[in-house]
Order: sequence, then structure tokens, then C-alpha cells
Amino acid sequence: MWMDLAIKAGLAVVMMLIVINIAGIHSWVERKQSAVIQDRWGANRAGFTLNSPLWRWLNPLLRPIIYLGLFQPIADLLKLVAKENWSPVGGMKWLHAVAPFLYLLFAFAGFAAIPFGDTLHVAGRDIALQVASLNVGFVFIFAMAGLGVYGIVLSGVSSNNNYAFLGAVRGVSQMISYEVTLGATVIGIVMVYGSLDMQEIVRGQGALLWGWLPKWGVFVQPLGCILFFTAALAETKRIPFDLPEGESEIIGYFTEYSGTKFGMFLLADFVETVMVAALTTTLFFGGWQFPYLQASGFVFPWGAEVAVGHYAVVAIQVVSFLVKVIAFCWLLMTIRWTLPRFRYDQLMDLGWKRMLPVSLANIALTGLVILLIEAL
Amino acid sequence: MEAVARKPGTVTPAGGVKRGPLTFWERVYVVEAARGVWITTVHFFRNMGYHFLHLVGLAKGRQAAVTVQYPEERRYLPPRSRTRHRIVRRDDGSPRCVGCMMCETICPARCIYIVAEEDPDPNIEKRPKRFDIDLGMCVFCGFCVEACPEDAIRMDTQMVDLAAYSRRGMILTLDQLLAGEPAGPVESINALGERVHG
Amino acid sequence: MPKLTIDGREVEVAPGTTLIEAARRLAIHIPHYCYHRGLSIAGNCRMCLVEVEGVPKMMIACHTQAADGMVVHTDNDKCREYRAAILEFILVNHPLDCPVCDQAGECKLQNYYMEHGTAGSRVDEDKVKKRAKAKQIGPNIMLDSERCILCSRCVRFTDEITHTHELGITERADHSEITLAPGAWLDNRYAGCVVDLCPVGALTDRDFRFKCRVWYLTAVDSICTGCARGCNITIHVNRDRPHKAGGTRVMRYKPRENPAVNQWWMCDAGRYSYKQIDHERVDSAAVDGRPVAVEQALDASAAALKRAAAAVAVLCATTATNEELFLARALFAGALGGHAAYLAPPQGEQDDLLLLADQSPNTRGAQEILGTEVRDPVGWVKAHGVKAVVVVGEADLTGLKAEVDHLTVIATHPGKAAAQAHVLLPGSVHAEVEGTFTNHAGRVQRLRVAVPPIRGAVETWRLLLELAGRLGHPFDFAFEDDIFAALASQLAPFAGLSHDNLGRRGALLGSGAPQPTEVV
Ligand code: SF4
Ligand code: SF4
Ligand code: SF4
Ligand code: SF4
Ligand code: FES
Repeated sequence: MWMDLAIKAGLAVVMMLIVINIAGIHSWVERKQSAVIQDRWGANRAGFTLNSPLWRWLNPLLRPIIYLGLFQPIADLLKLVAKENWSPVGGMKWLHAVAPFLYLLFAFAGFAAIPFGDTLHVAGRDIALQVASLNVGFVFIFAMAGLGVYGIVLSGVSSNNNYAFLGAVRGVSQMISYEVTLGATVIGIVMVYGSLDMQEIVRGQGALLWGWLPKWGVFVQPLGCILFFTAALAETKRIPFDLPEGESEIIGYFTEYSGTKFGMFLLADFVETVMVAALTTTLFFGGWQFPYLQASGFVFPWGAEVAVGHYAVVAIQVVSFLVKVIAFCWLLMTIRWTLPRFRYDQLMDLGWKRMLPVSLANIALTGLVILLIEAL
Repeated sequence: MEAVARKPGTVTPAGGVKRGPLTFWERVYVVEAARGVWITTVHFFRNMGYHFLHLVGLAKGRQAAVTVQYPEERRYLPPRSRTRHRIVRRDDGSPRCVGCMMCETICPARCIYIVAEEDPDPNIEKRPKRFDIDLGMCVFCGFCVEACPEDAIRMDTQMVDLAAYSRRGMILTLDQLLAGEPAGPVESINALGERVHG
Repeated sequence: MPKLTIDGREVEVAPGTTLIEAARRLAIHIPHYCYHRGLSIAGNCRMCLVEVEGVPKMMIACHTQAADGMVVHTDNDKCREYRAAILEFILVNHPLDCPVCDQAGECKLQNYYMEHGTAGSRVDEDKVKKRAKAKQIGPNIMLDSERCILCSRCVRFTDEITHTHELGITERADHSEITLAPGAWLDNRYAGCVVDLCPVGALTDRDFRFKCRVWYLTAVDSICTGCARGCNITIHVNRDRPHKAGGTRVMRYKPRENPAVNQWWMCDAGRYSYKQIDHERVDSAAVDGRPVAVEQALDASAAALKRAAAAVAVLCATTATNEELFLARALFAGALGGHAAYLAPPQGEQDDLLLLADQSPNTRGAQEILGTEVRDPVGWVKAHGVKAVVVVGEADLTGLKAEVDHLTVIATHPGKAAAQAHVLLPGSVHAEVEGTFTNHAGRVQRLRVAVPPIRGAVETWRLLLELAGRLGHPFDFAFEDDIFAALASQLAPFAGLSHDNLGRRGALLGSGAPQPTEVV
């Protein structure tokens, strides 16, 4: 009993660390990647030089780090922490303080249901590499994403600022609109793999189609994949769907935030990005699956087999999951630096008039195909 | 001349962008978005590649970043850019300003503070005793320059590095304003531009 | 009575009325420089040219008398063309001085030029330079001959109003200029008025010069406190550029026309008395010379007054407003059953134009409201057995402190009264309250708030109200006009008057209701 708890806690910590680190690195990637895309240098100044004779030899080592802007996230953090902890005059002080916590909390909570590896057998125990092995995993994830709305509403309402309030209203309507599509697209996946459990969905993706193509979500649900990815992008409220935030022009719900509390919104943003990447990986790109890797080792379609030890298999799976997630994070970042922002009416049009009908059609189509296959 | 049918969004010879109705695939957007992502990705890897080549001393001729490294390199500012103010001096070094307070009146940021006094020369009559500009509040609109009937205040120092450790420090006094120098005749500014842009 | 038509509107005027005055009756403004209602007619600027039907030449409206059946046009194309031409002439030798000219912003040349002038002049000869620019011609007056348009208003003023004849016009044609008479110095008592009269920036006030731009100023109607005449003035306040003139709020007084009191003039003593408003004010309450909060000082004063029971008295200087005087009377003579009197006003010089010997603005008000004049406060206090005294305003109270148990002074400036006080309260001056003064002839005239009480001070009437409250006799007055309403209902001469119906020109005591205001 205690051991189980300890293992779960350990998994939770591992997950948390992975997510926070990826999210933290995002802030650096965001700066540097955008810079390189836009023919700029990006951050290359933050840092320090050592003057003491004892440590002077370290300077040549520091220089490339400074040059790469790797001290920049630290400087950003220090700046955020050192900033005035402001709460707006006439606002609701308590709610104003609580809102970013709620937002970040719910952004993190979803990760509990994401499996990052198959079951690990160690010392006679079966450890599912998933913080919470829920059989309604993705309902849980959507519930958490839905609750994130509260963080936004509260931040907008408690700020005593009409712009913040309007930003919150935009944010909420956007999230709610796209959650519908998000849910509808995933139904296709559920129908194909016949489970709500994330672990089961991933396992289902280990099968092969026609004996050679991994049965990943993207291959059985191509339309669903695109719709899901778009809707999830809208859920993160990042460009091109950043109408609720629009830091520099239209002003968003966290206008009245500064310092650490603002930093939490920022972090939550990155966490959401990681979440979207993880979800896309899990639902459509085989999660921790590595093509042709079975529990016993590689089984290639042409018949060759390579035996691999259990620990190695698990390691490959975990790494495979991480690599996929990071790749998607990268894609999300690239999209963020590529597309211009939608107008609000376009956003609503896209959500309700295009994506929702198409995703509903997708469900019908999936059902039809499944029936056909079963009939044959 | 009969207009040539063009692909929507192509650039016309005149330099404008000709827009037509969107094609089906453009309206689907996903394809266009993917093309966009492709462009940014290509940029990324090309620039990254050059950066690495530069590191090992190759391909020095190809630019990977166009950023001007500001404090060391200074970018050419067009002669009409509005930069830190200065007060023009007469031949004898006294301020050309007569303290008419036109600039103070027009200033939308209300950041000019003038106190005038009698000038010993009755042909000048009036001169500023105190002339402060609070750069912390200035919005660099240039109205003060426009309003000055004496052409006494100008924003041609090309100084843009305005920072101080206190609000007080952002206030320029008459002496500081008189010490400002124009950034030089237009030719030399252009020469600076040549140097920076090669 | 001649009946004429001006710009298509008929008007009937008294015989001998000039066209400019007839037009004024119809609220039609005819541009003019040399004409002034308080001076004789010179007719030299030609700015007022109007067209009279049937007369081939343009006529000057300031000197042409209205005749029956006349048809006058003041704003047709011809008039405008002539005005533009006249302005072009006036500007031939006028310097481009507006940036350094103090008149800019209230300059008739600028204003008319914007309204009627043409863009650009056709004259490209050099301007005629006069002998000296910016020359001092009196203790307070600067003359810039180059800006002078030779309207002769200033000359006529010194000839007709002050009869001092300091100024004249010498030389000829475009070398004409205003000159001081040999050996003269423009230092008569009303010299400041020539600055008001001068339509351009030729005559400027040395006191006001370069302190502030006129468009930064807000004008508030008020009454001069220099003497019992009660000249009507506007107080010019600089409200939001506090860096001017070392933070001084009030920049100048300007006379305001009131035919029944001061016509268009005011004396220099009054004109420069604005300085006391911002200069060396009492800015903190004090008990026995120790600075304390106003509330504490009020408490201390009230406690002392309570101990004295009915042996209390209030002595008001005649600089207090009617409202303050009434409040003092109602509290001390009424509610507390003590005494209320006013201190004899200081006397000064007198002349036959405006200045009166009585140097305070509200002696008549004090006579009406308090009745008793006290010349010797010490003797008076002894005679009435008074134990505690409240003094409102400044007075020589030498020896009074020794005679009484307690002395509270509501003062605006540190002076002889403030020096004596057990409790000192920082009060307000006339520019800081709404209120009324009654001038020597019994004309009740309005004061308006030009500035809030200076930092640290409190309106005097509010201090008295607070005191009343602390003494257990609260009055139900929210603002100054409530006090005046009570005053009007209790004192017969004030009956029928109210802050609202006094208007800009005031009303005589006992008139019941104010006279209708004269047409503009
Ligand atoms: S640039 Fe504009 S804001 Fe700045 S001092 Fe001049 S007028 Fe004022
Ligand atoms: S407008 Fe020109 S002359 Fe007038 S005060 Fe400003 S700087 Fe001086
Ligand atoms: S008198 Fe009037 S027009 Fe002449 S310089 Fe002064 S402001 Fe300008
Ligand atoms: S100084 Fe002024 S008032 Fe006197 S004549 Fe000249 S313009 Fe007229
Ligand atoms: S006003 Fe009539 S001539 Fe001057």
C-alpha cells in the first residue's frame, strides 16, 4: 500500500519535472527559434563574467552559454520574481491571487492521465508508467482543461479592468467553443480503439494495419488528427488563436498581473502547449509506441525479429514518447511564429461553422467504416 | 492593355499585391498553413546551418542574422527621426529659445517646464531661466519642434539611448539641452548608413 | 428717437448714440482699437469702418451718430475687405514679436488678424525701427513703441481720467511714438490701467511680464480688497502649471467693468494686492505657539470658550465676508449670549477717482451686521467683562492677551494679531471662499472661489462652524450661500438678496432685489 503510494508519488514527481522542464525550456526556445526564423540573433546578452582570479578561467566556458542566451530564462525568472507583487486597486485581491494558481493547477492536472510508457516489471511489481491509471482517462483530461476556464474567468473578473474582463470573456468563449470540437474529434479515436483509457488507446495503436502500417491514430483518423490538432491549438490560446491574450495590442485577461503571478500564466501557457503535444502524441501518434517494437523486442513486417530486454524496451518507449512530444512542441512553436492571428469572427466561424460539422461528419464516417469492416 | 490573369496574391510589377478570389485549397487553409510552416522551417534550418558554418569559420559571406548589435553597432537613423531634444544656440552661445512657451503649451505630455525671465538685451527681451524636459514623460511626438517659432528646439541629436536610474534623472535641464549637438549634416549620416548596411 | 437698421435688424436708440453703441445693443461686435467707452472718441484707428447705405465712403462706427432710417452693414464683403486692408496697414511696421510679447493670447491685433486679416502682407519694405524697444516708463510699466498701434488710448487715459498728462505722441507719420512728457514718470495711482487699455503689447505690466502665458490663466470674478470702494475685478489664476512664478497661484488682478462702482478702472495699490494671497500665509494651527492639527486647535479653543461661558466676545476685522461676520454674530451674540463687534478699519490715503481712505472692503457690511465698532479692544474687553475673545482677521491687539483668559485668532497672515494668540487658526482670504462684501455705498457684491484655501488653511466660515459645533450650537449650513440666505432672512437691509440674484454687478442694500444687469 505505502509502496504503491510512494511509486505513484514518484511518477507524479517525474512527470511534473519533465513537464516543467520542457515548459521552461520553451521560453528559451521561443526566443531563440523565433530569432533564427526571423533572421535575428535573439537573446545573446544575459549573463555575467567572473572577475576573481580564482574563477577567471571559467569565462571562456560561460561565453557560449551567454551567446546562446541560455541565461536568459534565468534572468527572466529573476525579473519576474523580483517584480512588484501588484494587485489592482478596486479588484478582488484574493481571487486575483488565486486565479493563476487555479489555472496552472488544472493545466498540470491533466498530465496525470497521460501514459508515458508501458507497464514496467521490476522487483516483482507491475508499475504502469502513468500517474493515474484511469479508465476514463481522457474524460478526466477534458474535465481538467474545462476547469482551466475558471482561472481565466477569475483573473478577468478580479482585475477591475474592463480590458481584462473582455479578454477573459473572449478566452472563455473560445475555450468552450473549441472544446466541443475537441471532444467530437476524439470520439472517432474512442470508436476505433474502443476505450476511454489512455493506456488502452496507446496499446491499441501498437497493432499493425495490413501487416506493416502501425495502427496509429493519424493513419486511421487523418481528418480527426488535423481537427484535433487545430482545436487543441485554439485551446492553448497561442498564436494564431491568441485573441484572449494579445499581450501587445488587444490586451488580455492577465493585463493586471505582474511578477510571479504573471509568470504563472506564462508557465501555464507553456504547460498547455506541452499538454497538447502530449495529447496529440498519445491519441494520434502512438504515444509511447515505437514502430514494430513489441514487449519482446522488434518484430519487423518482413519477419525479422530482434530480441530486446525488458528494461531496454521500456526505455525505448519512454524516450520515444518524449521525442514525439518534443517534436510536437517544436511544431507548435513553429506554427506560433508562422501564422497571423485570426479575427474573432473568423475564429468563431471556424470553430462552430467549419470544424464542428466536419468533426461530426468524421464521427459518422468512422462509424460507417467500422460497420463496413465488421460486415466484411 | 489587357490585364494578365494572375494567381491571387502575386506581386504586380508596380509593387502592389494583386488579390483575387481564393482558391478552394487556399480556403481550406490547412494547406496554406503547412506551406507557411514549411517556409519558416526552411528559414530556421538555413539560418541554423549558416550559424554553424560561421562557427567553424565557413560561409562568412552569407548572413545568418541581420540584427544590428546595438550598443556596439549603431543603426543609421533617417535625418528626420525624432531623437533627444536640444536647444539651438545663437552665435554667442546663448539659447536661441525666447521662452515663448509655445512648445510647453502644445506638448501633449505636458513634460516641458519653462520659466522665463527678462533678457538684458531689450532686442531679445525674453529668455528661458529654466527649461526642463521630462523625457520620462515625453512621447517624442515632435510637436514642440513644430510649434517653435524660433526654430530653437530640435530633435536631431540622433541620441536614442535615454535612460536613468531615477525619474529625476530623466529630466533634461537647459544646460543639458544646450550641450546637445546635431548628429551632423545629412551627408555624414548617410555615410553612416552606408557603413552599417555595406 | 432715431430708429435704424443694422445688419437687417432694427433698433431704436437715444439721439446722439454712436453706431458702435447701437450695434452693441443688438449684441453685434464691431472690431475697434481706439474706441473705449470710458474715454473720449479719437477715431484714429479706422478699424471700426462700416458701410452706411447712401454714403459713398465707409464710416467709422465709433464716431458716426445714429440717425433715423439709417441702414448699416457691419459684416458684408466690403466691410471685411476694408478691415483686412486696415490690418495690413497696421501691421506694416508691427514687429513679429508675438513669441516674446506678453499680450499674445489676449491681443486684439492677433485676434482681429485671425478673424479678419489676410494671409501674408504685400509690403516688403523694412520695418521702421523705433528708438528703443522694451523701455521702462514707470515703476510698473514697460513700453515697446514698435508694437504700439498709436490708438492713443493710453494718452487719453492720462489726460481724461487721471489728469496727470504723463504721455503724449511725438514725431510724425510712421515715426510717431508714445513718449513720456519731459521729466514725467508714469507713476500715477492708476498707471496700471494703461496696460489694460492698450489693445496690443506695447504697454506691459512689469509685475506680470514673462511670469506666465495668459492662456494658462483662469479668470474668476471677485472684488478687490484694497479699500471700501470694492472695485470689481477678475482674479487670474494659474491652476495647472505650478512651476510658474515659484508656485504662485494667483498671477494678477484685472479690473472688471461695473459702471456703478469702478467703471473700467482700478488703482495700482489694489492691482498688486493680489500678492498677499500666496505670500507668507499662516499655514498651520497653533496652540501657544506650538503647531498642532486644526482639529486640536479647535478643541483647545472650544474648551477655553466653554470655560468662559457667556463672557465671550468675537472681534472681527472688516476684511471678513458678510457670511463670516454673520456667523460670528449668530454664534457669539446669539447662541452663546456674549458680544460681537468689529474692529475699526485702518485708514489710508484717498483721492477723488476710486481710492477711499477706509482700507478694508467690508466695513459697511460689518456696520450692518455687527453694529458696534471697537477702536480700543483692551478697553472694550474690560468694559464688558469679557474672559475669552475670538478675533477674526488682522488687528493691533497689543495688551489684549493680558486682559483675557483666552484669545483665539483666526488669521491669514502672521501679524500682530497672530502673534498674540493662545490658539491660532489658519483662515482663508477672499479669493478662497464664496461670499459677499458690502462696499462703502452699500452695494453687496459677490466673491467667487478662485483657489482652494492654501495648503494647511481652512475656510474661515468653516472654522467658525466647527467651533459652533464644538460649543454645542451646531448650525445647519452646508455652504456659504446657506449662510447668506440666513443673513438675508434675519437682517432687513439684506432682505430679498441671495448669492444667485446678486449677479455680476451686485445689488444695493435695501434694494430688495438686484437691478437688472445692463445690456452687454
Ligand atoms: S516631443 Fe512631444 S511630448 Fe516630447 S517634449 Fe516635444 S511636444 Fe512634448
Ligand atoms: S517654442 Fe521655441 S522659443 Fe518658444 S519656448 Fe519653446 S523652444 Fe523656446
Ligand atoms: S502686440 Fe499682439 S500682435 Fe503684436 S507682438 Fe504682441 S501679441 Fe503679437
Ligand atoms: S501704447 Fe498701446 S494704448 Fe498707447 S497708443 Fe500705443 S497701442 Fe494705444
Ligand atoms: S475704433 Fe473707430 S476709429 Fe478706432
